[in-house]
Amino acid sequence: MPDFPMEFLTRLQDSALAQWVGGAETLLAYPTILTLHTVGLSIVVGTCLVIDLRVLGVARQAPLSALRRAPLLIWSAFLVNAVTGVLLFLPSAEQKAFQTIFYVKLACIAVALFAYARIWTLVFRDAGTLAAPIPREARTFAVVSLIFWTGATVAGRLMAYIL
Amino acid sequence: MDVFVNWLQLTQLSLLFQDQVAWLWPLCESLHFLGLCVLIGAAGFFDLRLLGLMRAVPLRTAWTLVPWAKAALFVNFLTGLVFLISQPEQYARNVSMWFKVLFLLVAGINALVFEWFYSRRLLTLESHADTPLAAKVIGGVSLASWFAVLYFGRMIPYLVPDPVSGV
Repeated sequence: MPDFPMEFLTRLQDSALAQWVGGAETLLAYPTILTLHTVGLSIVVGTCLVIDLRVLGVARQAPLSALRRAPLLIWSAFLVNAVTGVLLFLPSAEQKAFQTIFYVKLACIAVALFAYARIWTLVFRDAGTLAAPIPREARTFAVVSLIFWTGATVAGRLMAYIL
Repeated sequence: MDVFVNWLQLTQLSLLFQDQVAWLWPLCESLHFLGLCVLIGAAGFFDLRLLGLMRAVPLRTAWTLVPWAKAALFVNFLTGLVFLISQPEQYARNVSMWFKVLFLLVAGINALVFEWFYSRRLLTLESHADTPLAAKVIGGVSLASWFAVLYFGRMIPYLVPDPVSGV
C-alpha cells in the first residue's frame, strides 16, 4: 500500500476537527452530526421517492409543475449530508477509507443522483417537457432511482456492521 | 419496569432474536431506515400541502400518498418491536426512547384528529385553494413531530446508561 494515502488519512484523523467530532464529551459532536445526517437522508431520499412515485403514475392528478421547488429541498439536504458525511468520516478515516461497503454507498449515491438529474431533464426541465406525456426513459430512471437510493441507505447502515 | 424487562429478556422470542442478532439486527435497521425515508417523504408531502404549499395539488390527491406513510410506519413498528424484544434493557430506561415515544403519540394523535374531525371537509378542497388555519396547525405539528421522532430515535444509542456498539 503506498504511503501517500495512509499518511494523508492519518493526518485527517489526527486533526483537531476529527478529534473533536470523534472524542468530544458532548452530544453535539458525533451523535448530533450523525442525527443530522439521518435527517438529511430522510429529506433527500423521501423527496426523490415522491418524485419517482409521481413519475411512475402515483398521485397522477398532482400537476408535475407543483414539484418545481423540489430541487431546493433535495440539494439543501444533500449539502447537509455532504458536510456531515465528511465530518463523520474524519475520526475513523483510516478505517472507512478501506471499507468496501463505503464505496458501494458512494457509488449508489452517484447512480441515484444521475437518475434524478435525468428525470429532471426529461420531465421537469421546462413548460414543454412538463406538458408532454412522461417518456418511458424517465420511468426507467425512476425505478433506477428507487433501487439505488435503497442501496445507498442500506449500504450506509451496513457500514456499522461490515468493517 | 425492571420486572417486565427481565421477563421479556428471557422469553423464547427474545432469546431467539438474540441468537440471530448478527443478521437480524442489520436487516431490521436497514428496513427501519428505509421506512423512515418513505414515511418522511410521503407524510411530509401531505403535510406541506396542509401548510398551504403546492396548492396546484388537490388535497385529496396529496392524500393518496398517505397509505405509503402508513405502510412505512407499520414496517417501522414491526422492526422497532424486534429491537425492543431483543434488547429491552437498552430502551427501558433510555431518555431518548421515551421522548421518541412521546412524539410518536403526538404525531399519532395529530393524525387521528385530522382523520376524524377534518378529513371529510378538507379533502373536498379544490386545487389552488388555501388551507384553513386548523389544517396548517395539523401539518406543522405533524412535520415537527415526525422529525422529533427521527431525532430522538437516532440519539437512542448515545443515551444508553451503559453505551453499546450499535452506531
